[in-house]
This record gives sequence, C-alpha cells and structure tokens, in this order.
Amino acid sequence: MKKVLTVAAFTYRELIRSNMFYVWLVSVVVLSGLAMVLSMLSFGDSVKIFLDLGLVAMEMGGTIVLLLSLAVTYNTEMDQKAIFLQLAKPITRGEYLLGRVLGFYMVVGLFVLGMGLVIAGLGVCWGGTIPGLFWASSVYLLMEMFLLCTLGLTFQMMGTTMVGSFLYTVFTIFLGHLIGEIEWLLGQDIASWIKTLLRYIEIVLPNMEVFNLKDRLYDPTLILGWAQYRDTFLYAFGYSFVVFMIGWINLEKREFK
Amino acid sequence: MAPGNRVRRGAIVLLAAVFLVQGWLGLRLDTWVHPQPFKNSEPHMAVVDKKVSSTLRAVAYLTGTKVLIGHLFWIQVIQYYGDTANSADRYSKLYDYCSLASDLNPCFVTIYTFGAAALAFHLKRYDQAERLLQKGILSNPNDVRLKLLLASINYENSQNYATLIPFLEAQIDQGEAPTILVHILANTYQKLGKYDAAIALWQRCLKNSDLDSQRIEAAYYLQELYRLKKSKP
Repeated sequence: MKKVLTVAAFTYRELIRSNMFYVWLVSVVVLSGLAMVLSMLSFGDSVKIFLDLGLVAMEMGGTIVLLLSLAVTYNTEMDQKAIFLQLAKPITRGEYLLGRVLGFYMVVGLFVLGMGLVIAGLGVCWGGTIPGLFWASSVYLLMEMFLLCTLGLTFQMMGTTMVGSFLYTVFTIFLGHLIGEIEWLLGQDIASWIKTLLRYIEIVLPNMEVFNLKDRLYDPTLILGWAQYRDTFLYAFGYSFVVFMIGWINLEKREFK
Repeated sequence: MAPGNRVRRGAIVLLAAVFLVQGWLGLRLDTWVHPQPFKNSEPHMAVVDKKVSSTLRAVAYLTGTKVLIGHLFWIQVIQYYGDTANSADRYSKLYDYCSLASDLNPCFVTIYTFGAAALAFHLKRYDQAERLLQKGILSNPNDVRLKLLLASINYENSQNYATLIPFLEAQIDQGEAPTILVHILANTYQKLGKYDAAIALWQRCLKNSDLDSQRIEAAYYLQELYRLKKSKP
C-alpha cells in the first residue's frame, strides 16, 4: 500500500506542477461567470438558476481537468517514456496503475470540491440558501469523477495514441449519459435480438445518469436516502474495479520499447 | 492445478462476479434515475423547428446537461416573447417553446407560471395554458402556485368573476401568495372598473413586500391606475 501511495503522491505533484491549477482557475472564473450571467439574463429565481448552472460547471470543470491531465500524462509517461523509470522500480504494474488512479482522483476531487465551495460561496453572497441536495450532488459528482479517472486511465493503458485515449474517454462519457434513452428503446416494440444487444450495451457502458443528481435538484419525486447512496457507491466502486482490472491486464501485456 | 493458475481463475471469477453485480446495480438504479416517463408524446415536436428541438435534445441527453440546456432554451423563450415582431402571429410558438423548455427542465416552475399567464391572460389561449399547467402539476405535485393559477385561469376563461375575485382575495389574504395572483386580481379589478380596489391592492403590496423589485412594480402600477382613474372618473 505504501508503494501505491507513493505513486499517488508523485502523480498528484506531477499534475499540480503541470499548470493544472491555472486550468482550474480559468474554469472557475469562466464557468461561474457564465452561470452568473445566464442566471441574471433568465426570468425566475436567479440564485436557483445559478446553483443549477454551478453544478454543471463543477462537472464540466472536473471533466476538463481530468481530460487535460490524461493528455499531459500520456505525453510524459508514454511518449517521453517516463513510465520506464517507474516500472524499473520494485513495484508491480497493478500498484502503479492504482497509484495513478488515486493521484488523478486526488487532483480532480480537490478541483471539484474547490469549485463547489466557490459556487456555494457566491450563492450565499447573492443572498440565497444552499439546498442540502447541492452537497449531495457534489458527493455524487465525486463518485462520478472516481469512475471517470479509472476509465480514463484504463483507456490510457489501452490506447496507442494520446488522441485515441482522449476520444475514447470523451465518447464513453457521452454514451454513458444515453442509458436512459437505451432504457426507453427497450420499452419499444423492436426486434428481440436488438433488445438483447441493447441490454448488453446497457450493462457494459457506465451508467452516468446514476450520478446525475444535479438535474434533479428540485425534483419533488426524488427519493434520496442511505439505500441510494449505498447502491450508487457500490456501483461506482464495482464498475471502477472491473475497468481497473481491464486496465491492469492491458498494462501487464503492454510492451514498452 | 498450479497455484498461479488457481489464483488467475479466482481473479477471473471475481471479476465476472463484480461485473455482474455492477450490471445488476446499474439496472436497479435506472428505475431510481427515471421514476417517471421522461418522453413527451405531445405533438409540439412537429411545430417547433425540428432542427432546434432535436439538436437541443441530443446535446442535453448526450452530455447529461438537461437542466443547463433547459435554462439556455428558457432564455430563448423569453426573448421570443419579448420580441414584438412575433406578435404578428400572436406568438404562435409560445406554447410549444414552453413545453420543450419544460421537457428539459420539468421542475423549473417559472416556465409554467410565466408561460400559462402569458397564454391565458395575454393571448387568450386558455386550453394551451391549462395544458401547460397540468403538465407542470404532474411534474411538481406539491407546488400550490400552479394549482392556484390553474383555478384562476379556469374562472377567467368562464368569465366567472363572481367566483374568481373572492377566490383570489382569499389566497392573497393568506399571505405569501405568488405575485402573479396579485397581478391577476389587480387586472380583474381594473377590467371591471374597480380602480379603488386595484389601487388598494397595489398599495398593500407596496407596503408589505420585502423585495425592491416588487415595490418598484407596485409603484409603477399605482401610477398607471391613478392616471386611468383620472381619465375615466
């Protein structure tokens, strides 16, 4: 475990030093500024609209930081062969990958939480109150980011180019949000083999809508309790575990020349 | 069997088990994510520019940002209603736009109150206003404002002022009534030539309101009413 934490700390330092803080700062200023302008332009409760848009900004900011981190580390680790130095140490490839996941998650989680505090602070300064579901949505965002970190790094282990791993991650995020549409299609009158295929796709893709609490901040039909937290946490952990294992297998088979 | 093979087989079984468990959890959570049908079978898709509606929906569902796209589209709806050029066809797309905005953001009550008030009291399209409010009540069953507005529109539609006025007065007297009900009651008084009652209502609003915007609004309507009263004694 010590080796894993060492890799995680190294990854954390590497990402923080690669100007990710500026990316986060620009994201905070631009996205919260946009959220504020849009809520002023709109008609209705401005603070509510701002918080809605702020949660979207948190997710977008976290995803941007993650994708840029993936691109930066692919360049240093794979293209510039920095991975040689790490794998030459007495550390297994599984420990290396787990350390990378934790390091990425520390950075992305810190950025998402930081942005959440900025949004909540601005909301309070504006005279609003922060609903409890705002913090619940932030917890769900953190779980989503853990899954995305694992997924992104697995694609990094599988991909042969930086662009490839970047695009795989982006498209998987998009497709993961279409789970609801697949569910709707399954309820339609279509051929049984298509239904079976869709069912497999539904299970294989990450269900990103599970973490999408931000779209239901004011939904009166929403039930959120211990059971939902537990199931979502187990889902995020279970899916990440499977994806991590696939990434590990790929890293074991990968030859570095 | 060699210990290495046994470990490998165990790992594969564990991986398969976790995969199946996450699949089961994902399906189980689906019913939580989509507890009610999120598809709207209303024909507004045919009326609203298909390119606009399908692009918006695609972006919203692909990126998981239905609320964001809903808020952006809502600004477009306000601009549509604010553009006097659209008054030539009596804002024919207003209902469809409101309906699409509420598909994307079903818990944003302002869409229903603003849309229904404009449709009923300005454009006199009571059926569309009622349909929009019914949709809003289905998505927000605990919101009293929507039910009050629906009742008001029903009375207004049937020109049943004898029932409408006491109904609205009772709601406003209870306190914390939405501003839209004050507007409806004041307009009804004005329509019936009861300027003094309308003035008293806005004066009360000016005195009791906590919001600057509402006080400014009340002062504006008071000026208008004094002018009207002077011109039509």
